Amino acid sequence: MSNFFYPKIAVNNIQKNNKTYIPYILACICTIIMFYNMSFLSAAKNIGNLSDSRSLRQILIFGEGVVGIFSIIFLFYNNRFLIKRRKKEFGLFNILGMEKKHIARVMFFEMTIIMIISIIAGILAGILLSKLMILILFKIITFKVVFGFEIPIKSVIHTAILFSGIFIVNLIYNIFQVHLSNPIELLKETNAGEREPKTKWIIAAIGAVCLAAGYYISLTTKYPLAAVGGFFTAVILVIIGTYCIFISGSIVVLKMLRKNKKYYYKLNHFVSISSMLHRMKQHAAGLSNICILSTMVIVMLSTTISMYAGIEDVLRNRYPRNISVYVSKVSESQIKKINNAIEKQTSILNAAPKNIINYHYIYFITIQKGERFTIKEIDNYFPPDAAELVLVTIDDYNRIANESESLSKGEVLLYSLNGNIEGDVINISGLKLNIKRRLSSLYKEGRLTSIMANSYFLVADMDTIKEVQNLLNSGRNNVEHFSYYYGFDVNAKRDIQIKLTNALKNDLTKINPKVNVEGAEREREGFYVLFGGLFFLGIFLGLLFIMAVVLAMYYNQILEGYDDKERYNIMKKIGMSCEKIRQIIKNQVLTVFFLPLVIAVIHLMFAFNILTKFLAMLNFTNVNLFIICTIITICVFSVIYTIVYALTAKTYYQIVRE
Amino acid sequence: MSILEVKNLKKVYTTRFEGNTVQALSNVSFSIEKGEYVAIMGESGSGKTTLLNIIAALDKPTSGDVLLNDKSIISIKEKDISAFRRDNLGFVFQDFNLLDTFSVQDNIFLPLVLAGKTYDEMDERLKVIAKKLGISDILIKYPYEISGGQKQRTAIARALITKPQLILADEPTGALDSRSSEGLLKLFEEINNEGQTILMVTHSIKAASKAKRVMFIKDGEIFHQIYKASMTDEKMYQKISDTLTMIVTGGERNE
Repeated sequence: MSNFFYPKIAVNNIQKNNKTYIPYILACICTIIMFYNMSFLSAAKNIGNLSDSRSLRQILIFGEGVVGIFSIIFLFYNNRFLIKRRKKEFGLFNILGMEKKHIARVMFFEMTIIMIISIIAGILAGILLSKLMILILFKIITFKVVFGFEIPIKSVIHTAILFSGIFIVNLIYNIFQVHLSNPIELLKETNAGEREPKTKWIIAAIGAVCLAAGYYISLTTKYPLAAVGGFFTAVILVIIGTYCIFISGSIVVLKMLRKNKKYYYKLNHFVSISSMLHRMKQHAAGLSNICILSTMVIVMLSTTISMYAGIEDVLRNRYPRNISVYVSKVSESQIKKINNAIEKQTSILNAAPKNIINYHYIYFITIQKGERFTIKEIDNYFPPDAAELVLVTIDDYNRIANESESLSKGEVLLYSLNGNIEGDVINISGLKLNIKRRLSSLYKEGRLTSIMANSYFLVADMDTIKEVQNLLNSGRNNVEHFSYYYGFDVNAKRDIQIKLTNALKNDLTKINPKVNVEGAEREREGFYVLFGGLFFLGIFLGLLFIMAVVLAMYYNQILEGYDDKERYNIMKKIGMSCEKIRQIIKNQVLTVFFLPLVIAVIHLMFAFNILTKFLAMLNFTNVNLFIICTIITICVFSVIYTIVYALTAKTYYQIVRE
Repeated sequence: MSILEVKNLKKVYTTRFEGNTVQALSNVSFSIEKGEYVAIMGESGSGKTTLLNIIAALDKPTSGDVLLNDKSIISIKEKDISAFRRDNLGFVFQDFNLLDTFSVQDNIFLPLVLAGKTYDEMDERLKVIAKKLGISDILIKYPYEISGGQKQRTAIARALITKPQLILADEPTGALDSRSSEGLLKLFEEINNEGQTILMVTHSIKAASKAKRVMFIKDGEIFHQIYKASMTDEKMYQKISDTLTMIVTGGERNE
C-alpha cells in the first residue's frame, strides 16, 4: 500500500465534505487570528508600562483568556457536529473492510491537514492584521501611534500550542467516538433521534422559574451596588432558563398547538409543527446557544459602545469641576490658607477659576431602613442598604444657591441621590428631623457620586448638624470634623490644567496632609484607557461571538436540511407542489431562525434596568445614550443576522432540492 | 368505459456523459377499465418503473399520451400537476414513504390537509377507512412504533382517503414478510371488489396471481398479458410462472 494512501483519502474526504469543512476551517482560521491578536496586544511592547498601560494590559490579558476559553468550547462544539454528520461515512468504510485503526489513521491525517492549514494561515493572517489592531486600539484609547512592527514570539508559541492542543483533543474525541460504536450503529447514526420527544413539565417549570427569577432580579435592582452580584446571578438564571425553555418549553407549546385541531390541520401549521416538534430535541441546544451568544453580543457591544461614547459625560459626572479639592478634618484657618493658595496658583498659571463652588460638609455611612438611619460599623463590608448622609450648612447652601432660606432647629432641606425617603420625617438614631422642603437639584456632588450607595444631602443649621454629629459619634473617639470642598472650572489648555492640579496638590499638602486634589484632565487619559480598552474588547469579542453565531446557525441549517430532504421528497410524491414546499420551508426556517433573536431581544429588555444600574457604578448615567446605543446595536446585529439567514437558507434549499 | 388509456408511450433517456441514449419504453399501449385490478410484471430494467412514473405524472414521456378519464395527463401544466396527482391518484410504495414526524392518523390526513379539507370531514373519512383496514387501534402511534404490515396498511389508507380514480402500487409487498403480504393482497382484492381500480407493479408471482389481469413488459414493450377470469389463484400462479420462464428463455410472443 502506498504511503500516500491515507493522506489521499483524507484530502478526498475533506473535499467531499466541503459544505461543512470549509466553514469549519475558516472558523478555525478566524479564531486563531483573533486569539493571536489578543495575545499579541497583551504582550505588545508598544503599550508600555505606565500605570494606565497596566490597567489596559490587564484588560487585554483578560481578553486573551476569554478568547482562549471561547476557542476551546467553540471548536470542540463544532467538531462534534462535524463528526456526527460523518459517522455514516465511517460506518461505510468500516463495512467495506477498513478496520477502526485505519479509520483512525484517516482521521489523523484529516485533522493534521486541517490543523496545519488553520494554524499557519491563522498565525500569518494574525501577524498581518496585528499592526492594524494596535493602530485601532491606540486610536480608541487616544495613545500616540508608534511606528514599527512587532512579532512577539511568545504569542506565536502560545497560539500554536493552544490550537494544536484543541485539535489533538478533538481528534482523540473523534477516534474515541468511532471506536465506541459498531458499523451498523455508525450507518444508522444520522437517522437516529426521530422519536417524538416527551413533554418534560419539570424542565419547563424549572426554565420558567429561572427566567422569572432572573427577570425579577433585573427589574427590582434599585441600587448600583446590588447590581454587581445581582447581575451575575441573573445572567446564570437566565442562561439556565433559556436552555430549559428551548429544550422543553418549546415542546410544551408545540404540543398545545397540535392539540388545537382547527389550527393544526392547516397545511402550513401541519407540516411545520410536527417537524419542529421532532427536531427541537436535537436543535434546542443549538438554538439556545445562538440565543445566549446573541444576547451576549448585544449586551457587550451596547454597554461598551455607550460607555465609550459617553466618556465625556462620565468624566463630568465623576469630576463635576475641572479641578476639585477635598480636605478632611479641616479648621477655619486652614480653609482660608487653602483659598488663598488656590487663588495664587491660578493667577500664576494664568488660569482664572470660574463656576467656583466651595462648602463645608460632614458625611457618615449609615444603614437605612425606610426613613430610619443608624450608623454603620466601620468595616470594609458595604451592604446594599448602606446609605450616605451628607450634612451641609444652611449658610453655605444659601450662598451657593443664592437663596435666603432660613431653617429652625430640627428642620432640614433634603436632596436625595439614588435613594428615596417617604414621608416628611427623617429619623437619625432616634433624632427626628422635619423635612421642610425637598430639593430637585444641588450643586454637583463629585466624588460622592462615585460611591454608588444611596446618598442624602441634608441642609441644616449649625446646631442641628452638631446634634446629629454628636448622636452618630456617641461612644466613639473619632469625632468627625467638617470637611471642605473647593471646586472650580478653568479655561485653560490641557497641559496647563495638569500642571495646575499637580502644583495645587503640592501646595495644599503642606497646609493639610489630608488633602486630595483631582483634576479631570489629569484623569482623562486613564478613563480613555479604561473605557477605550473595554470598548475595544467589547468590539473584539462581539465580532468573535458573531462569528460563532454565524457558524452555529449555518450548521444548524445544514443539519436540518439533511433531516428534511427525505421528508419533502415523500410529500412531493404524495402531491405537494414545489412552490408549496418552498413556502412551508420558508415559514419554518424563519421561525426557527428568528426565535433565538426574538428571545435575545426579550432578555435584553428585561436586563435593561440592571444594566443601567451596572453602568451607573462606572459613573455612566446617561440612560438615553445607552438606549440609543442598544437600539442601534440590535438593529445592526439583526441586519447581520438576516444576511446570514439569507445565505444559509440558500444552502438549505440546495440540500433539500438535491 | 376505460379509466386509463396509454397510447404509444415512448421514453428515451440520454445519459449525461457521452450522449448515449437508452430506450426505456419503446412503444407501450394498453387501457384499463374502471374497476379493474391489473398487475404489471417484468424484470429489472424492463421499463416498468418508468411506465409507472409516467402514469403517476412524475415523469414525462418522449412521445405518446396517457389519458385518465379521457383527459391527457401529459398536457397538464406544471403548477396543476401536484393537485391533479393528489385528487386523482393514490400511491402505495414499496418502502411505505410514511413520515416519521407524523402519527399514523396524521400521515393518512396528509393528502387531505394538502387539499385543504376541514378536520371534521377528514375525521369522518378516516373512521370508515381505518375500520376497514383494521388500523383503528394504532392511529395515535408513530410509524417507528408499528410493524411493516401496519405501515403498509397505513399507506393504503393514505392512498384511499382521497377517493382516487386509480391506485398505483409500486412493489407493495416488496418489504413485507409473507404473512403481511398475504394480508395486504387480500385487502387489495377487497377494495377492488368494492370498485376501486388498481394498477400494481410487482416482481412477486404470488402478488400478481391475485390480480384480474397481468401484463408482462419486456425491453420496453408489452410482451404478453393474461386474464384471470375464472381461474383459481393456483392456476393463475402456474400460468404466470410459465410466462416468466418463457420470457427469460427467450420464447416467441404468443397472444
